[in-house]
Amino acid sequence: MDLYLPIAILFIIGAGAGLVIIGLSSILGPRNPQATKLSVYECGVTPEGSARIPFKSRFYLIAVLFLLFDVEAVFFFPWALVYRESVRTGDAGLLFAMLIYMGFIALGLVYIFRKNVLELD
Amino acid sequence: MSAVEFSINTLKIFLLWFSIVNVVPVMLWVERRAAGLIQDRPGPNRVGPFGLFQAIADVIKFFWKMDPVPKHVNRFLFLIAPILSLIPASLTLAALPFADKMVIWGREYQLQVSDLHVGILYMLAIGSLGAYGILFGGWASNNKYSLLGALRASAQMISYEIPLGLAACGAVLFFGTFSLRGMVFMQDGTLFGGLLPKWGIFFQPLGFLIFFITSLAETNRVPFDLPETEGELVAGFHTEYGSMKFAMFMMAEYMNLATMSGLMTAMYFGGWHIPYVSDATLLSWLGGSVNLLAIVQLGVFFFKLYTFLLIYVWIRWTLPRFRFDQLMRVAWKNLIPLSMINLIVTAILLYFWEMR
Repeated sequence: MDLYLPIAILFIIGAGAGLVIIGLSSILGPRNPQATKLSVYECGVTPEGSARIPFKSRFYLIAVLFLLFDVEAVFFFPWALVYRESVRTGDAGLLFAMLIYMGFIALGLVYIFRKNVLELD
Repeated sequence: MSAVEFSINTLKIFLLWFSIVNVVPVMLWVERRAAGLIQDRPGPNRVGPFGLFQAIADVIKFFWKMDPVPKHVNRFLFLIAPILSLIPASLTLAALPFADKMVIWGREYQLQVSDLHVGILYMLAIGSLGAYGILFGGWASNNKYSLLGALRASAQMISYEIPLGLAACGAVLFFGTFSLRGMVFMQDGTLFGGLLPKWGIFFQPLGFLIFFITSLAETNRVPFDLPETEGELVAGFHTEYGSMKFAMFMMAEYMNLATMSGLMTAMYFGGWHIPYVSDATLLSWLGGSVNLLAIVQLGVFFFKLYTFLLIYVWIRWTLPRFRFDQLMRVAWKNLIPLSMINLIVTAILLYFWEMR
């Protein structure tokens, strides 16, 4: 509990600072709304339609790839933590286990390169 | 925990947070003065000596500006997005080890918000939450520039998360701990009989390089500032924001920059250690006073942190920015394979080092 209570205090400080800043700036700032001030920021033309337009599906693919590779990368952390202790006893098992796992990830990377998933044009 | 201890701890947390928040006005001035220096023009020099009070003038002006909420936005998300990007920026500094410890009224206080066992994982996890603030801000603005900026920002941040994690993993592999405080303690002393300080960068040079490049992308700095390319997207995700709400996005950005610099200082540049002077020697020079030692360590830590910030500024005004497809190619085709190679090489070298 002693480890995470300070983080809760930090959260309160951060969120409080954000609320205070927004509150202060809405109190201190002048209020003079005009139709042009409240319209969409554009270079003189009136924007056509909604801004929530369909966008390139490549962004979706990147998100999926991120999920895959980030989950794979997370598995390295516990391995990295115990690796030094383990090899000190002369056991190379963890080294080879990691090399095999890394081989699978490299295969996946090569596959997405060959499929041109990342060519965003 | 007694009431006195609790209040001292709270004060300590506030001061550490404030020291990182203070990076923002300092950097506002440094960035513009350095830009002037690099581009052969004076930069801000009217408000106070050398324009030093420019940042204060800016903050006052931000507060006294009209703060409109345009009619076409999603009101709730629009208002909450700046806070959502400020909170993770504040939370990430929790694991940074600023200095060793202070003794007040016979009780020890670590100069760190919390010495988490999972320090690095915590920082990576909370740091990635910053993407939500940007994404919400961009989507809620209901403006095509903002939406495109937010999309680019999130794609960029999640792509660079992987090399960032793998590069940090190299450091974890070498030090054998997640705790940043533990890492800093292991960097005390010298290598090769006093030739080099025992810093992480001499064991993880490639890892540091990848981490540094990735930190530029994670904090949306030039050359990776695609989310806010002025030429194409006006101001990216914060186009519709004004007044202090815009300033809060900027605050979050600079705080992230400072935390990243602090992380690199702690992982690769010895944290609070002065090169070639061990903690024990320094303590005897200072007459055995732990509190004086902590103050010197704080000074050293912030010196290193600000050096990194200066390098960021130098890069910003020197390099042009990437194109978006180049940015993605750098992340997936260069940085991820390189960070995997870094891990393999580190693991193999460590194996032979331990087998000696």
